[in-house]
Amino acid sequence: MLDIVLVALILSNFVLLGSSRLSSCIRTAALQGIMAGLLPLATAGAGLSLRIVALGLAVVALKGFVFPHLLNRALRESATSREVQPFVGYTPSLLAGLLALAASFWLDGRLALPTHSASSILVPVSFSLMFTGIFLLVARRTAVNQVLGYIVLENGIYAFSLAVVRDIPFLVELGVLMDMFVAVFVMGIAIYRINSEFDHIDSDRLSTLKG
Amino acid sequence: MTQAWVLIPAILILPALLAVAGMLSRSARVALGICAAGTVATGALMAALAALVPHGAAVTVPGGWLRVDSLSALHLVVMAIVFCLGALQAPGYFRHGVADGSFDRRTARRYAGLWFGSLAAMAAVLLSNNLGLMWVGIEATTLLTAFLICVTTTPGSLEAMWKYLLMCSVGVALAFTGTLLLAASAGRTGIHGTEALLWTSLAASARGLDVQLVKAGFVFIVIGYGTKAGLAPMHNWLPDAHSQAPAPVSAVFSGFLLNAALYCILRCLPVAEAATGDAGWARGILVAAGLVSILTAAAFVVVQRDLKRLLAYSSLEHIGIVTLGAGIGGVGAFAAMYHMVLHSIAKSTAFTGAGRLIEIFGGNDMKRIRGSLSAAPLWGTCLLVSLLALVGTAPFGLFFSEFMMLRAAFDAGSYAVGAAFLAGLSIVFIGVLRHAIPMAWAPGEKPANPHVPGIVEWLIVALPLAALLLSGLWMPSFVREAFAAAASVTGVLP
Repeated sequence: MLDIVLVALILSNFVLLGSSRLSSCIRTAALQGIMAGLLPLATAGAGLSLRIVALGLAVVALKGFVFPHLLNRALRESATSREVQPFVGYTPSLLAGLLALAASFWLDGRLALPTHSASSILVPVSFSLMFTGIFLLVARRTAVNQVLGYIVLENGIYAFSLAVVRDIPFLVELGVLMDMFVAVFVMGIAIYRINSEFDHIDSDRLSTLKG
Repeated sequence: MTQAWVLIPAILILPALLAVAGMLSRSARVALGICAAGTVATGALMAALAALVPHGAAVTVPGGWLRVDSLSALHLVVMAIVFCLGALQAPGYFRHGVADGSFDRRTARRYAGLWFGSLAAMAAVLLSNNLGLMWVGIEATTLLTAFLICVTTTPGSLEAMWKYLLMCSVGVALAFTGTLLLAASAGRTGIHGTEALLWTSLAASARGLDVQLVKAGFVFIVIGYGTKAGLAPMHNWLPDAHSQAPAPVSAVFSGFLLNAALYCILRCLPVAEAATGDAGWARGILVAAGLVSILTAAAFVVVQRDLKRLLAYSSLEHIGIVTLGAGIGGVGAFAAMYHMVLHSIAKSTAFTGAGRLIEIFGGNDMKRIRGSLSAAPLWGTCLLVSLLALVGTAPFGLFFSEFMMLRAAFDAGSYAVGAAFLAGLSIVFIGVLRHAIPMAWAPGEKPANPHVPGIVEWLIVALPLAALLLSGLWMPSFVREAFAAAASVTGVLP
């Protein structure tokens, strides 16, 4: 069960790297968020508690439904192209994804982290999510896509936290979730404002301030 | 004395209540008034709490999640000063906007809410003993202050906000990974669950931590929080955000936001250093990061034409200096604390003056600001004197802190570090004075609106400038003890 979710997470990375339409990217990121939300239920095994279920549900609700809704709205209200418009083409992106995956497994071997998890590939998968997120942040042109990159990065960190620290205090978990929610919310508003001010949401054209 | 801890939750709750009050205020003027009075009240609470913390000891809230020791007490005082300077100058700075309606009630309410929100979030960073909670506070400050940059929306402020939001969110996300790695490193010591994130328990059993994981975690923490602190090469957002934000907000950004992020790195420094066997591994990273920041700032200060960007790069330099001092350790760490306090005071004052001069001369371009001493004596003096203090002219305190740091570097045998540091300081000295002198004295046409400053404005210029001057001439023993106690929290003095 756990391994299926993890492989699906890796696959979703590649879909994100290879797809050309923003709306399908948002949908993929939503699916990835739902899978990340299911991870704690899958890793818990026998120690399934109410807290873990609540956390999983909260993540699924936020990443699977609230974020895509916010981003879709930002996309609808902006008059710009629905294409991804990458700096780095799709094929090189997919290759970079492969490279990131290989690097993740290598890094995991080097670090020898004390994991508690049921699956040995949880840590490398979380690394590959982080790498993919950072790659999307720098290699994509539109602001919406950068937010997606941030969400993928956060998914990676979330998976990583499940692997290495079994019990983060609940209050901190809630705080992290809250912050993430607000971050994406704020970014959504920022996109909206940038769009109404500039008539575009291409962040590479936000380049008046330099030096 | 035993009940001093009640002040800790009070400092977190009061700004939250004030934020609500600010968001419900009747007019823009009232909202700014609440900002000023509320910030002074919260600042008084912080100062009182800091005074109650004995040197080398700590005040802890039952449960252990919130805690104030000498390092956080010193930062609390700096924070109180910087926020008060920012809040007290706001009514004057926004008065035109209030009069012509561009700073209307809605904007003012939002401004007040965000102002107190950031105040509470930054206080939470300083007061928390839990590294996770500290992270939550830093992330919250990022999100709240992002909107303060574009209180009045312009294309430039939106661009700055987007860069700030994206770079700092990603940076802070990496810092969270670092925090997780630190917590994971405690696996072997028998600390588990909630305690693995408590700074006190990590510091107490630092020698038993997993060295590999601590190293990885510390690198992530330096990169992550370093982005927020503006350490080069992760500083790109800093000049944009500082130059586009309104002056009271720039004052808080430069004066305290950077320090708050650096504080998080300083918290983790003793843990990383003890875990790696006090071999100077973690300190070395800070020395390198500090030097790179100083030299980067020096390169950019020379080519600046925009006054607020110049001040922003100067902040980059000073954050680098504090980081360098903490990295050198010993006397260097003492000098770093001394420098941190004085830089915050000087930079907030410089932004106060710069904000008004930009308004009077109608632009950020330093070529337009000419003869400010005769055109607007108070603000001209304010900017000139604070710039002189910032570049390290004697007898201002910053001269002595930089001198002490240089001595510490040479005493430790790091001649190359000392030389690079000195080179950076000299370039900045020349680069800033080249602009500061014409801005103060060069002949130019007198602008039309000589606004007569009020008593509060005189005070927020005169008091900090007097403090800067006095700090170089005389250091009372309680201040010296406070610096020494704060420095010793960042590591054992070698």
